[in-house]
Amino acid sequence: MRAVAKELEVELLDFEGASCCGTVVLKSIDEPSWLALSGRNIALAEKRGHDIVTPCNGCFGSLKDTAHILNHDEAVRKTTNKTLMALGLKFTGRAKIRHFVEVLYDMRNEIKGRIVKPLTGLRIAFHPGCHLLRPSTVAGFDDPELPHKVDELLELTGARSIPWGLKLRCCGSPLLIASEAVASSVLKEKMISAREAGASCVVTNCPACHTQFDVQVLGLKDEGGQPLELPALFVTQVLGLAMGLEPDSLGLQLNRVSLDPIRDVLGI
Amino acid sequence: MATETWGQLKSLEGSKLEILDAEFTREVSKIIGGQDLTACFQCAKCSGGCPVSDKVNVQVHQLMRMLLFGLEEVLKTDMVWLCTTCYQCQQRCPQGINITDIIFGLKNMAFRKGINPPGYVASRKALYDSGKLYEPTDWERDDLGLGPVPPLDVAETRKVLDKTGLMKLREGE
Ligand code: SF4
Ligand code: SF4
Repeated sequence: MRAVAKELEVELLDFEGASCCGTVVLKSIDEPSWLALSGRNIALAEKRGHDIVTPCNGCFGSLKDTAHILNHDEAVRKTTNKTLMALGLKFTGRAKIRHFVEVLYDMRNEIKGRIVKPLTGLRIAFHPGCHLLRPSTVAGFDDPELPHKVDELLELTGARSIPWGLKLRCCGSPLLIASEAVASSVLKEKMISAREAGASCVVTNCPACHTQFDVQVLGLKDEGGQPLELPALFVTQVLGLAMGLEPDSLGLQLNRVSLDPIRDVLGI
Repeated sequence: MATETWGQLKSLEGSKLEILDAEFTREVSKIIGGQDLTACFQCAKCSGGCPVSDKVNVQVHQLMRMLLFGLEEVLKTDMVWLCTTCYQCQQRCPQGINITDIIFGLKNMAFRKGINPPGYVASRKALYDSGKLYEPTDWERDDLGLGPVPPLDVAETRKVLDKTGLMKLREGE
């Protein structure tokens, strides 16, 4: 994310004092605590006159959902603000919360002009993940049934974002905490769908989803005993490579599933 | 695949669920997103797109009916904690019911009663102790030439979580 932002001359500030947003984990345990913890981050950005940008569907969904509730439910906003008052903070709803792919989508023309290493032949099963799209009343980014924006970005590189049956399906990541077995069986179905569609890799825009496709997938096999993994790339890794950035600056050396099957296409 | 992984209530068939508690239905209607709960007409579209429908003992449309019937046993179904929070049901419900948000509220209720997978207790503690769910991996940050994570004053997040009573959600805590 940082390498691509730098190349596009987007200045990112580190978020001093931010905590975890709590994600769906804290929302599951206690909504008032989640609203307060997540609301604290938003209020902190507001106090400094900043917006928030994140490369994670979890943070994006959690912060957007918090802002949505606090903007629409006066009673809940009052309670949350009473809690935040102890820190000298107040949620006002001023800060914009954006996923990094939204920023990239707005800069698509610039990105187009910077593609120097086309990835022709790469067949991408793009996984948008849940909270980037749903509920659309909260996320407000793309069509929840036929999303196309990130696909458009990926196709600027000359790669193809292929249609696949379970594209909109959850990857199972949030279930790791309740049941790894069920989380894996959800993932397994996704991988079989991507393979059936003839994908040469999976692309994600969320670190939690990415861990499913790049780590949890290791060792998963189909009924016939065939391994199910496919090279898994982060959206900024695909864009960065096509923009001619150094593979190391994009963290490609840290990918767990071997990239060997697509090394030629990626030119690495 | 019937799940042995979570949920004490294994099946609706043969289960005697006699208490129809209108008070429980009212209570659930009050959770964030619960206001349209009674509009459910059991089309089961929610279960049709749910990634765990074929993996749970009680599916999401059945859960919705249990709520309307005031069956508190719903908190013991596997659907509550095996909901991935993917929002597909909520996105597609023809009655516009905020199904996923209702399930979040049910998780809150279940947690207060101690009906939850153990991982959530550890996560609650991590969030309270460090303000974080996950710890950054230092060698990976080094490898990417990233400096340390910006500092966080845990006293601040604890102050917030003390106010909301995160560590005192259950009786006796
Ligand atoms: S989709 Fe909505 S109306 Fe249909 S069964 Fe599910 S909750 Fe009820
Ligand atoms: S949000 Fe939960 S209940 Fe609804 S479709 Fe997703 S997993 Fe199923």
